[in-house]
Amino acid sequence: MTTTNPRAERIRLFAQPVVVLVGLAAVLGVIASGPLDDIEQRNINVSTILGLTWQHLLLSVAVTAIVVLVGVPLGVVLTRRWARPAAPFVLVLANIGQAAPAIGLLVLFFLVTGATGFWIAALPIALYALLPVLRNTIVGIQQVDPSLVEAGRGIGMSASAVLRRIELPLAVPLILAGLRTSLVLAVGTATLAFFVAGGGLGVLIDTGDKLGRYSVLVTGAVLAMALALLVDWLGALAERYLAPRGLR
Amino acid sequence: MSFADYVASRWQELLVDAAQHASAVIQCTLIAAVLGVALGVAVHRSPAGSAVATALTSAVLTIPSFALLGLLIPVLGLGVAPTVTALVLYALLPIVRNTIVGLAGVDPAVLDAARGIGMSRAGVLTRVQLRLAWPAVLTGMRVSTQLLMGIAAIAAYVKGPGLGNVIFSGLSRVGSANAINLALAGTIGVVIVALVLDGAYVLLGRLTISRGVA
Repeated sequence: MTTTNPRAERIRLFAQPVVVLVGLAAVLGVIASGPLDDIEQRNINVSTILGLTWQHLLLSVAVTAIVVLVGVPLGVVLTRRWARPAAPFVLVLANIGQAAPAIGLLVLFFLVTGATGFWIAALPIALYALLPVLRNTIVGIQQVDPSLVEAGRGIGMSASAVLRRIELPLAVPLILAGLRTSLVLAVGTATLAFFVAGGGLGVLIDTGDKLGRYSVLVTGAVLAMALALLVDWLGALAERYLAPRGLR
Repeated sequence: MSFADYVASRWQELLVDAAQHASAVIQCTLIAAVLGVALGVAVHRSPAGSAVATALTSAVLTIPSFALLGLLIPVLGLGVAPTVTALVLYALLPIVRNTIVGLAGVDPAVLDAARGIGMSRAGVLTRVQLRLAWPAVLTGMRVSTQLLMGIAAIAAYVKGPGLGNVIFSGLSRVGSANAINLALAGTIGVVIVALVLDGAYVLLGRLTISRGVA
């Protein structure tokens, strides 16, 4: 998650992927080199692990896509002059929504729809991860210096040109920070998807716990941690290198 | 049974779960506050120490809570121990970061003045620095409390206390008439407890921030 301490960010940018990959290799190496019984072999093998990791990533990507496709346009609409009075209400609602536990949203969505699977997990997780992007889009556009908007209008830009060429580019750093937070929320919450048969690495954690095979549990937990820390690292890279050049 | 009827008939049990949820979150926030402020005080003089403490605690916050809780089962078993460990770890970042920021924001002239009137180092820390940094620390605790609300619900998986148990019993009764009522009661309960505690923080801020600061 974003830290506001630039030096801490730099440490994480360099140390995080190294520590994660070394730690992951060490843990998986120890587990794979030990004697594994039938149940362990059925759960700890390359195809199962890659399959569940892929599912986990796919869930996170789907959630992030929904969050960006809904959060940014909604944020833009709420900063237009005619919709501005509604913005505080939407933010209060979103804040209350954020206070709802992710596991509750998942379970409720599953019980109400009576269905299971990928989208039954992805939709409530997306709802849960929406707030950071929505809030940062609104705040990012609101903090654009009004005189810049005036200047844009003054040189004959249309309202949509001002939005595309002034407001949005200036809001990009904050939107990216919100996106990083959303990404981390998405990857973390995706470990809960197995509760509604949505797959992901939570499956290994739960299987290991239910069958009393801690090697399976630890494999799943360590993979989920590594994935979250790596995705967060990618978010940090994006925050650093995708912002418009003049703002870095 | 409608949701209103359900809540009316289970009012007492839900209240107990809500109280346990709030109490677990509050106690873990307090433990994290003691540890986090101590850590912040220890590192705030050194920019490198501050950066490392912030980097470490923010990396912890990135870890999926279900993975951490799962990983704690082989080590600590089920129940209170893994729940408290996980909740305290997640609550640390906002408190450590805000303690460091708060202490760094104290005007050096004020510290000079305090030393100049003969205060000891401990006196300056407890009677000047921490009092001036308190609003920031309190904000950190408030953020931590909100964060722990959702994580405490997941901790029901490792037999932790609170409203997560209501949600999970809804999940295990899928298909029965009360499943949705249970999940809804647990979810709304967490939101209500979160809003009440958030209000309590506003009040606590009014009462404890010295008048000269605000």
